[in-house]
Amino acid sequence: MASVLLPVSLLLAVLLLIPELFGDFIAYQIGLYLIYGIAAQGIGFLWGKTGVLPLGQALFFGIAAYIAAITLRAESGLVLDLILAAGVLVAMAVFAFTLAALIFRGRDESGPYFSLITLALVMIAEQIAGTATNLTGGFNGMSRFSSLGNLDPFGGFYYVIVAATVAVSLLLFILNRLPVNLIARAVADNEPRLQLMGFPTYAIKGAVFAFSAVIAALAGGLFASHQGIVTPTSTGFALSAEMVILAAVGGRFHVLGPLIGAVIVGWASAEFRDSFPYWELLMAVAFILVVLKAPGGIAELLETAYRRFRPVRTTGPQPAMAAPKSKSVVTNAPLKFNNVHLSIGVVRILNGVSFETPANGIISVIGPNGAGKTSALNTITGNLHLTSGRISLGDARIDSRSPHKALGSGIGRKLQVPSVFFSMSVSENLSIAMMANRAKLVDFFRPSTYQWRSKPLSSLLEHASVPLREELVQPVEHLPQGHRQFLEYAMTIAAEPPVLLLDEPCAGLSPDETALMTDLVRDYQAETGGLVIVIEHDMSIVEAISDKVLVLHLGRVLAFDTFDKVRSNPEVQAVYAGGTK
Amino acid sequence: MSKSTTKLLASAAVALALGTVSATADIKIGVLVPDSGPAGLFGPSTRNSATLAAKKINASGGINGEQIELVFADVGVPPAEAAQAALRLWKGEGAQAFVGLHDSAVREALIGRFGGQVPYVYTPVYEGNSCADGLYITGETPSQQLAPVIPHLTETEGVSKWYLIGHDYNWPRDTNALAKTYIADAGGEVVGEEYVPFTVSEFDSSLQRIKESGADAVLITLVGGGSVGFNVSFAGFGLDEQAIRLGTLIEENTLAGIGADNANRLYSSSGYFSSIESEAAASFATDYAEAYGTDAPALNGLGQSAYEGLMLLAALANKAGSLDVAAMDAAAEGTTWSTPRGDNTLTGRHMAQTIYLADGSGGAFNIVASFEGVASSEACAN
Amino acid sequence: MSSVLFLNLAWQISTLALVALGLAIVFGKLRIMNMAHGEFVMIGAYAPVITSSMGLPGWLQVPVCLLTVALVAFALERTIIRHLYGRMFDSLLATWGIAILLREAVELIFGRGYQSVSPPISGTISVLGADYPAYRIAVIIGISIGFAALYWWNARSKVATRIKAMVGNPDLAEAVGINTARLSAGAFVFGCCTAGLAGLILAPTIRIEPMMGLDYLIRSFFALVVGGLGSLEGLGIGAGIIAGTQSVLGAVASQTYGYLAVLTLSILFLWLKPDGIRSSSR
Repeated sequence: MASVLLPVSLLLAVLLLIPELFGDFIAYQIGLYLIYGIAAQGIGFLWGKTGVLPLGQALFFGIAAYIAAITLRAESGLVLDLILAAGVLVAMAVFAFTLAALIFRGRDESGPYFSLITLALVMIAEQIAGTATNLTGGFNGMSRFSSLGNLDPFGGFYYVIVAATVAVSLLLFILNRLPVNLIARAVADNEPRLQLMGFPTYAIKGAVFAFSAVIAALAGGLFASHQGIVTPTSTGFALSAEMVILAAVGGRFHVLGPLIGAVIVGWASAEFRDSFPYWELLMAVAFILVVLKAPGGIAELLETAYRRFRPVRTTGPQPAMAAPKSKSVVTNAPLKFNNVHLSIGVVRILNGVSFETPANGIISVIGPNGAGKTSALNTITGNLHLTSGRISLGDARIDSRSPHKALGSGIGRKLQVPSVFFSMSVSENLSIAMMANRAKLVDFFRPSTYQWRSKPLSSLLEHASVPLREELVQPVEHLPQGHRQFLEYAMTIAAEPPVLLLDEPCAGLSPDETALMTDLVRDYQAETGGLVIVIEHDMSIVEAISDKVLVLHLGRVLAFDTFDKVRSNPEVQAVYAGGTK
Repeated sequence: MSKSTTKLLASAAVALALGTVSATADIKIGVLVPDSGPAGLFGPSTRNSATLAAKKINASGGINGEQIELVFADVGVPPAEAAQAALRLWKGEGAQAFVGLHDSAVREALIGRFGGQVPYVYTPVYEGNSCADGLYITGETPSQQLAPVIPHLTETEGVSKWYLIGHDYNWPRDTNALAKTYIADAGGEVVGEEYVPFTVSEFDSSLQRIKESGADAVLITLVGGGSVGFNVSFAGFGLDEQAIRLGTLIEENTLAGIGADNANRLYSSSGYFSSIESEAAASFATDYAEAYGTDAPALNGLGQSAYEGLMLLAALANKAGSLDVAAMDAAAEGTTWSTPRGDNTLTGRHMAQTIYLADGSGGAFNIVASFEGVASSEACAN
Repeated sequence: MSSVLFLNLAWQISTLALVALGLAIVFGKLRIMNMAHGEFVMIGAYAPVITSSMGLPGWLQVPVCLLTVALVAFALERTIIRHLYGRMFDSLLATWGIAILLREAVELIFGRGYQSVSPPISGTISVLGADYPAYRIAVIIGISIGFAALYWWNARSKVATRIKAMVGNPDLAEAVGINTARLSAGAFVFGCCTAGLAGLILAPTIRIEPMMGLDYLIRSFFALVVGGLGSLEGLGIGAGIIAGTQSVLGAVASQTYGYLAVLTLSILFLWLKPDGIRSSSR
């Protein structure tokens, strides 16, 4: 906790010293930069973690500022003002969440479209603020009201801003240390993986967006009080862009980065705008250089310098704690494909696939390239939606849903190319896996959640030959391919899914590792008594592990039987041109 | 390239030189100019005009016997940043009075932050309805620009069907509200009225509507680039044959952008044009050319208004005997002073002044009428 | 629909399509969110100012325009843009900086003031029973011919396919012998040149000043996302919807409603049909 309290108390001390050292007027100036900085901190949190770039954050800033102006004009007293402010923040959160969740539903990208939507929204807001003169005062704005609690904007109100700055920073520092931080970062890192682990990423993005919107709104309310005027520029495109620039220059990956950016850029431009004619030119060049050479911004440069003197101390492994039970309904039920068709564009991938597995055992799926093996798994998890037909697990229909619902109905999936969270360490990856399908909302905000271990995961990590135990603090990007396969496998079984889908788990493994992997798979099936479906090319592995073999060819089921019967099937032999490969 | 670079260096040198010369001055006056933003075009002529005014004031004994020094700040930015810039001059550099040329949003922000503790002269054309302690206004308001001009054009051009077009914000709406009464009084009618967002730069549908309305006069309250774009297209569609145009914010730079080809029968109403032929105006233009060279930023009604503002400040402070707001407020009513615009009087905190009507046909303003001592319908108490 | 409204629509759509064409290449193909796109339109519009200030004959406007824009674009591609392929949001930020840089540079050279350019063809002619500026008619016809030629070329040329292959998988494209560095530089410069050409063509009908670029940027982006990235038909449809909405609503209601409708429409497309109107439903 010292790592949180130290920077926050340092921040508080610096901010409290400013009026003493430089006088009220400089404090007034810094106050404005801090207000922008707070809003930029929200942007940094959203953008730096989830990768969603909001281009219209002044929407929330401005609307809150206008409401504050209207309220302060009414002079209804401090208590009423504060109650209303709380109400506005809640309303803003609901609005922002609904907006983002609706837009992100059904797409697993955070690309430019959402950003452009926020841009269009803020342009609409700016236009309406300028046109609706009766409500907003139009272009000239709303002015002539006193600040919150009648504080002096040149005096007492500075401390309100300091309080807000410190509170927001403290909150962000704390969030950075809680499991929710991992989940937010995982969205930017590997959204499809996170969905297969049962996390509704659209809701996560919506929630983080709402959080950043609330922070922007808080800053907007402070702005109205501090400036005594609100104009359409407060809810405009230029201010939105400015805030993004502050976050980028200051450093979006650090809590204090956007604050530092806001104060430095604000102070420098006030200082040099009038005395240096090429100021904007210089700013543009500096900005381009930051984007190209220092994407982490000023904060990252500072951190790099600081770490030279004080390297990060790695804390030892924390004691493991038994994880709560997985939410997966433990149903040992057969998986059934009923005349499943799948086309993408004009390409027909599955042409009436029908089969029914037993309720448990290991099923291998084989077939030449292009047979539709991976697509078949994709239809099970909802990554691809059927053109027609039906897939059910027991009595429940499971096709054409969102991928994040798969794990909830008991289906865990490992992808073909090891798909893990590359920017994180092995133990962070495992922590996310442990939360999958177990964590309740409150668990994301408890540090103890990091210590969760499930039985399958513990026994896997304790297995003498599995390499991961020694690599827990390693960043995944430094791991060899084979180790990543084991990591993803570990993450998939951590949630204890009764139905396990494995897409070529042995690809890229050495013979020893292959043997280990097949052992692990067999052990898992034996222990859970569940159903495992493996796509595999290597016939010796197929022979070794399979209870039944499903042969797909050109999007149809060619055979579905025991290994021996499949091997002797003439149609299969024709496809494989000479039996086993 | 070389030409404008030299120009830039020259003006920088002038500013530096003035800075050093007047370093011993007693009173600092903050001049708020739009160096950036949409009005950034007027920054240089505003600085130059203000500097000429300071020279003139100092040459005739300063303010209450003390020499003045100008300190500039860029207020062509959003209100919050503009207020910061002004406060730096006030609290940081000790400016004791302000002259400002900027939009109304910035003015409202400044009124709030100054809180009537420092005299503040607001100089550009504006919509009216702004009163505060220590606030004095020299800019033309709609009533001044339109009350004498609409009847005049009705008579000389024989127009009666007016079409009103402006940007979608306060100034055009307030201007047009007044224009309607003057048009009705002159026996004309309004055949159309529309407002265009700042973000729209295509005027085709507006032009079509003007054409179909059968208007024979168009009152333009578009500003800056929008005004240029509108007028270029207006003439491109041949509408200059159908209707005269009257603008209340078309100054020399805007006219240059519109171009001689597109300025046929384009009128402008303002308290100042660089082509005013009075002795005071001519000598001002000569001083300006001498100080800044012949290819200095063109003189125009907005930039020149900073000169008016400083001269008012000096006249008023001298009359009140101090730069104290209460004393100046008490002395304000009836203050008179003379400038290139003519003889001015402060009534109701606004400046009664000569209004000129100029014809831009051929790409240069040609004064066709002038109306002396036009008072604003705007009036603040005391 | 009156014939003037029809001609206005034709003018708006054709000019917007031309302005957005370069962005369709740079954003649609190279995935660079070029916020400096409007600034290339602006530089193009200054070409007549350059020729007249240097005393060059009018016919040199086109080569001067293309040469200036190409040089600027090439220099920027080599120094900045080439580091940004595959970094879409970074490209947005860096080109925002470039936009400021170009505006300030033009201001330093030509000053802040408005420039005026006379059209090569003046006066109005009667088309479909309406008096319409002759220059605009010529431009509408010219752009239509240009797009037809481009469509024809695009259907035959392999360049578009190569660019697509390169963006989809740069390593593979390199492996099959596509010079990705040259191809992307070429595509970027070509995209900027079409923007410059649009600026030159529009110059006699608009205001010309350093800040004008922003007007063209946002509309181009919206036209692209509405129409769908990646096809000329999509570009045409997007330009039609965006320019058409503004024109028609501007004519029957008010320009403010037209502007708000364009924004609302863009949001709906970005939300419900993020791949644009041309995409297959998915």
